[in-house]
Amino acid sequence: MSMLANGVTAPPVPGLTLSGPTLLAFFKTDCPACHLALRYLDGLSRSIGSGDRVVAVSQDERASTDELMRSLGADLSLRFDHDLAASAGFGLEAVPALFLLDESGRVLASSQGFDKADLNRLGGELAKLLEVPAPELARPGDGNPDFQPGCVSRHLEPESDAVAAEIPDLYSRRAGRASRIDLPADADAEEWCYESGYADPLPVVPPTVGRVERMLAASGLTPDEVVAHVPPNFGAASAEKIAANAVMAGCRPEYMRVLVPAVRALCDERLDIHGVQGTTHFAAPLAIVNGPVRLELGFACGSNVFSNAARANSTIGRALQLILRNLGGAAPGRIDMSTMGNPGRFSFVIGENEEVSPWGPLAEDFGIAAGCNAVTFFCAEPPRPVSEHKAREPRVLLRAICPVLANLWSYRVCKRSEAVVVIGPEHAATLDRGGFTKRDVVEFLFENTGVPVSEYDGDGGEGTHEAGYYDECVIRGMRCYRKFRRPESIRVMVAGGPAGKFSAVLGSWATGPRGSQMVSYQFE
Amino acid sequence: MSLTVVNPLDERPLPEGSAPPRLASVGGARIALLDISKGGGEVFLDRVDALLRERYGVSEVLRFRKPTFAKPAPEAVLTDIREAQPHAVIEALAD
Repeated sequence: MSMLANGVTAPPVPGLTLSGPTLLAFFKTDCPACHLALRYLDGLSRSIGSGDRVVAVSQDERASTDELMRSLGADLSLRFDHDLAASAGFGLEAVPALFLLDESGRVLASSQGFDKADLNRLGGELAKLLEVPAPELARPGDGNPDFQPGCVSRHLEPESDAVAAEIPDLYSRRAGRASRIDLPADADAEEWCYESGYADPLPVVPPTVGRVERMLAASGLTPDEVVAHVPPNFGAASAEKIAANAVMAGCRPEYMRVLVPAVRALCDERLDIHGVQGTTHFAAPLAIVNGPVRLELGFACGSNVFSNAARANSTIGRALQLILRNLGGAAPGRIDMSTMGNPGRFSFVIGENEEVSPWGPLAEDFGIAAGCNAVTFFCAEPPRPVSEHKAREPRVLLRAICPVLANLWSYRVCKRSEAVVVIGPEHAATLDRGGFTKRDVVEFLFENTGVPVSEYDGDGGEGTHEAGYYDECVIRGMRCYRKFRRPESIRVMVAGGPAGKFSAVLGSWATGPRGSQMVSYQFE
Repeated sequence: MSLTVVNPLDERPLPEGSAPPRLASVGGARIALLDISKGGGEVFLDRVDALLRERYGVSEVLRFRKPTFAKPAPEAVLTDIREAQPHAVIEALAD
């Protein structure tokens, strides 16, 4: 049996008498996609207000359902399909399953699984029927995936005595409060924190109650509000936990303005920090900050941009790393098994030098307008230097960058890496004088970065087995394989100090939908 | 005066788990091999596959593959493994 088609009259739902257009949402309590959908449906229900216009139908008992609603902070009108007759009658295959019914019970629209586009469509249609403004329900890039398949409907589950494994808590919005610990009177607080496993190997500022409360107050969030769940252990990054780690890292309270959206972006499924936390590779999440916030909070964008130049960069980056370790569980030698590591595992945050850049900011590549604050993440290898002090013409300068790009991941591996090219201000000026737009730079680098076909001489080294799948091209008369899959694999930005004709190239981890994709988040 | 600090760690108790009982013998057993799709994994698993059959008398070796090593196994792969009801699963973790 398949889902009820549009136009068909739906069977009754226990305890529900339709009094107008109604959005029904079938769910079960142990389905992560249901948890996700319920968060948005709760928002829809609150924005519409009175009456049973959004009704959540649980396939489980009241106790587990109430517990779920509490953890989600949701206040939805509930019904229970205890005998699962309605679930069968509606022809559910998976949950969450949404049905928009008119007052007579006719199906107007439906959806299965979690899908932001479907939620927005059904929410919009409901609002239209009720003649209320359409609420902004599920936005792209809000920290949650755009789509997630559902779980099999309870009535189709095979009968079994097996006990299901506990599912990770991915979407609850409220967490328990952090415990308070009284240090022994004779304790050295810094040593105590270190011995308690709170820290990386550098000293931390003890997260005393007063300091954490000041940090929390600056965030404007309630202490138990969950910003994200940090992989791989999915520990809840509540505002209070973020604040405690921010204190330890040495952040100022006003940095919470950046840190909170940065934690949300860091845990965006597209970035796949889950994989990066456990890799043997060099990758570490690099945060790139755009917008007026750079100047307001004093981010380093110029000299020493990758090093220890500014409190904002160093401490926000360190706070992110402490959060990954303390809430995500990725401590070196346990989950984090990187062979060589990355100095960026202490802190890895740069600001774009927008004031000297001839081009738009990096976040613009991701649809965020120039002038807006944004944090963009790229899971990056350590920076590789480029020196070119003689070139006076863009093509000559960019030729110095191409061989550095060609070496990413491994010289003979093509079509795998992405790159962020950080152009130093003097190089940016040379490119601008030569009339090169950012697009021209990207296209030149794409067209002129390759590995000579003669390098693939049958020795069996890394990248040689896949050569049949590479794209051949000719670069300066030489047959080559193109290094990058497409021009968008290369992102260009401007940062660094005013003197010195240097740039930097950063390679990626595994990329694309099967690896890590860059994410960019706007904030106020 | 003593200080009071706010616990910055994930405070949930670690889930308790224990390894399933070891098979007394793999002779005649059905063994699943999960390739996490790292380069070279199939070369290694082909050899494990052969050794299990030839040296240890495993009756059947079932092969499964994750679409990417970079992410957890999708539910569909886990379901396929469960439905095949192997006596044991060997996961080829990395390189």
